[in-house]
Amino acid sequence: MSRGDQVKQGGNMTLTHEAAQAISADKVASLPATPAQYRCPICGKICVNHEDLKFHYANEHPDAIVPIIVKLNVNGKDCEVLIEPHWTLQRTLQFQLGLTGAKQMCDSGACGSCTVIMDGRAVLSCTILAAECEGKVIETVEGIAANPKWKTLIDSYCRWDAMQCGYCTPGFLVTAKALLDKNPNPTEEECREALAGNICICGTYPRHSQAILEATMKMAEGGE
Amino acid sequence: MADLAGVNGQREHFRVVGKPNLPGRLSYALATGIAKFGIDYVLPNMLHAKFLRSPYAHAKVVSVDTTKARALPGVVDILTWEDEDIVKLSTGGFGPPKPWLDNVAHEEGAEVAVIVVAESEEICEEALRLLDVEWEVLPHIVDILEGRKPDAPVIREGIPEVPSMFAMGGKDNPPKQGNVSYSYVIDGDIEAGFKEADHVIEYDLTIPAFASHMPNPPGSVAWWEDDPYHAPGKTLHIEGAVQRREQIAALYGMPPEKTVQKGLFQGGKYCDWGMRRSQEITPLLAKRTGRPVRCVNTRAQTYDFLMKQRYMYLKVGFKDNGLITAIDDFSIADGGVPGSSTFGTSGDQSYGPYYTMRCKNIRQRMEIVDSNRGMMYVSGQHCPFNWDAGTMAIYLIAEKLGKDPIEIAKINLHGPTSQDDPNPVPSFEACLEEGKKLMNWNWHPAGTKKLPDGRMHGASFRYQICPRHAFSGYDCKLEYRNGVVHLPTQGPVTGMFAVEANAMVVAEELGLEYEDISIDFDYREKFTPVGGGSDGTTASAWAMKECANILKQRLLEAAIEEAENPPRPSAMFAMPKPPSPFKGMNLKPEDLDLMDGKVVLKADPSIGVPLADAVSKNIFATYSGRPPDALWSLGMGRMLDTMNTAYCEVAVDTETGEVEILRFGVVADPGKIMRLTSLESQIDQVMYFSQGCQLLEDFVYDKKTGVKLHNNMIDYKKPGILDVPRVDRKFLETRAGNAAYGANGISHSLANTHLVIIAIHNAIGVWVDPPATPDKVLKALGKA
Ligand code: FES
Ligand code: FES
Repeated sequence: MSRGDQVKQGGNMTLTHEAAQAISADKVASLPATPAQYRCPICGKICVNHEDLKFHYANEHPDAIVPIIVKLNVNGKDCEVLIEPHWTLQRTLQFQLGLTGAKQMCDSGACGSCTVIMDGRAVLSCTILAAECEGKVIETVEGIAANPKWKTLIDSYCRWDAMQCGYCTPGFLVTAKALLDKNPNPTEEECREALAGNICICGTYPRHSQAILEATMKMAEGGE
Repeated sequence: MADLAGVNGQREHFRVVGKPNLPGRLSYALATGIAKFGIDYVLPNMLHAKFLRSPYAHAKVVSVDTTKARALPGVVDILTWEDEDIVKLSTGGFGPPKPWLDNVAHEEGAEVAVIVVAESEEICEEALRLLDVEWEVLPHIVDILEGRKPDAPVIREGIPEVPSMFAMGGKDNPPKQGNVSYSYVIDGDIEAGFKEADHVIEYDLTIPAFASHMPNPPGSVAWWEDDPYHAPGKTLHIEGAVQRREQIAALYGMPPEKTVQKGLFQGGKYCDWGMRRSQEITPLLAKRTGRPVRCVNTRAQTYDFLMKQRYMYLKVGFKDNGLITAIDDFSIADGGVPGSSTFGTSGDQSYGPYYTMRCKNIRQRMEIVDSNRGMMYVSGQHCPFNWDAGTMAIYLIAEKLGKDPIEIAKINLHGPTSQDDPNPVPSFEACLEEGKKLMNWNWHPAGTKKLPDGRMHGASFRYQICPRHAFSGYDCKLEYRNGVVHLPTQGPVTGMFAVEANAMVVAEELGLEYEDISIDFDYREKFTPVGGGSDGTTASAWAMKECANILKQRLLEAAIEEAENPPRPSAMFAMPKPPSPFKGMNLKPEDLDLMDGKVVLKADPSIGVPLADAVSKNIFATYSGRPPDALWSLGMGRMLDTMNTAYCEVAVDTETGEVEILRFGVVADPGKIMRLTSLESQIDQVMYFSQGCQLLEDFVYDKKTGVKLHNNMIDYKKPGILDVPRVDRKFLETRAGNAAYGANGISHSLANTHLVIIAIHNAIGVWVDPPATPDKVLKALGKA
């Protein structure tokens, strides 16, 4: 009789990798293709569609700038998102798409916590206006987490405690994934250079290259 | 001597405790962004709130007219400090009671007088701009050396002096004068000590102000919901005030059962335990508006907490062999804005790093200067206290006598039991031996070693105790249900993997694996493993170990009972269990053990039954208590158990002023390693904190206006991955602590403000105040 049969596994009760992957996949699957609501950000009135919202603005808030629709491809899903023109991509992901992985730490392009991958490049979503992202292909940590291909990387991150409070961690992980997209076999120095824009106040730095290097080795071996 | 108190404190073989690379139970949530922090919450129909913030370092709102702001479309509610709902809120925190929201701002950026609630943050900001505020600008102090002068403007007339609740001898302190409160502590006979001395050195050092290390800007979201299953009335739901649910409930007069907070993630705290107003106000605003309300600080607004700045002037007398005979310590410390704590000012004088030394003639005089710089809740993370003054003294004596500072430290450190104990401290001796090997320690006098590349080499050394906290007890509970052991806990998750270490201890004691223990997070639970740094882990794990052994006893009793009288299967058509091999053996619980997931016969462990089969009933175990008091808290340094040593090597380019930390070395004795991977990370972290505050981080004010100039992550520079040096670490397990299995943890004992600064002096022979930026190094060298 195997040990697994002997003892009921308590670990299932808390968040395993599989559970995190399933939650992330669910978040990706439920990204709305069109705005769930056409809510006036000034007075809260719910309009039936964008035209109705524009009409409402013309009548009620003639001096204000009307929210716009931007088309994004987020984690493989085409989404039309209602935004105010000054919104950053980070805010759009959080407030309109329910994606909390791009964290806002500095809000000024100085920490990397809000990193996402846009058209293949790691970018800081707090410094990019969502309005400028029309037609862009955006990958967030939720998309990476939902993709079994990256299980090994995430496992290594967790095995090595490449996080303490964990607030900066998704930003590091996205940057690491962007590195591996381009260079599946980086050296430690290349890992450090790629992560140079990410700040971890808790000081987990050595753990990231350790986790990335372990993951690349395992991925090269084709196993977990 | 080791005091391996409690059940199984003497355990020799560990299968689970101390293991590396076991993922944290919520690590996947953190890595994948599922984990929600306070500011991540977004609710349908949610409103936003913002405070009026003072553009002045010290100012009073004389009057405010909200008419124009109220008329702005999208504004839903405006409250002022005079509104009854605000007046009714009471404050906690340090010092005398204060209004929850005042019309006087004591620092630039402070919340003052008005709160606006609107459909969006932008509308809040626009409304704040539309307020007609009559300000009375008051004099400010952002330079405490100016603030202590007799002719300085008094900034806090009528407000009682800094409470010296921890200061010994506080009753004899002179009364407050101007901006200055006093805290004096005198031990022994200082005059006699100096007479006895062969040498006297005088020196000063500056402990800089630096910002708290809060990764996630604080904030909360609150809403009220119908809850038919509890008492009448709505239930308050708040996210973003993790671990403060009861405090929020008390603030709003709510029963704890009707105050919900499910989020677990509070981010790194690092002794910044103060609640921000944005974390407290949302329930009121949600109640008034009938909608969810979100209020968050921006990053700039998060630079409201400082580690205390302190100028120290010291005079030390010592014998020819380096033995210190007298210490005269005078310091000027930043008292901060009202509500600041006394830790790091008067508080540190009862927590005596000096008491680790044999010298008993010590005078500490401190001036605590009111300022308009920021809140100082607790300054413990860098443990400024007096450690760096002691480290400096040892270094300077070594320089003066041409001796290795390690030898000077050894002469001055007293034995384990008292200041008169002549014996060495085993943990310290062991740390030193390993440290010398780790660093290839070969001390040289200041300014004498040039590296092949032309830069100057410097090295430094420092010791500290591992000050485990033992101030609170723990209420532990374990549940055995359907064959699984559950560890219910309220969290929070802060980054020190405390609950995981507790689960490892439970697994160890119950013959299970870490993965077998189900950690059930539930905000209503009482158990919280937090207690201050990694020591919280070791202290709570001590209590949890007791609980695990109570559960073990009950499981073994149940296994015998069920072996003799097998219960009928609870499911209708389930097969009865096969007979237990223990049946008829007339066993007692002490004849059995738990091993590898089975109940086994001690005499012959090959005879056993899987735990889930042996015990089918549900069993609870509880334990309330705490480990024996930590020695440091009893003796304040006069009794010593586990210790640590840290080392630093630098290279200084005397042409450019650039300082490179070649490496840090740490030999730490946590007593017993509980969770290796996070312990290693905590060592890295504190060394990077030390690097940051000694080389990079600088809190700069415009003196004229008192405005903060560095409240962003570009100017206030934290080390990045390319900045941080190698940290070589070595752990020892002397089992000399008195928490679980002789552990003490490392707490934040290694963070410091002068290890690098001393190494720089050892390289170039001149002092540079932190942060030692290249311009300051060149200036010190007379080159700029
Ligand atoms: S939040 Fe975007 S870089 Fe810091
Ligand atoms: S883990 Fe806390 S900021 Fe990186």
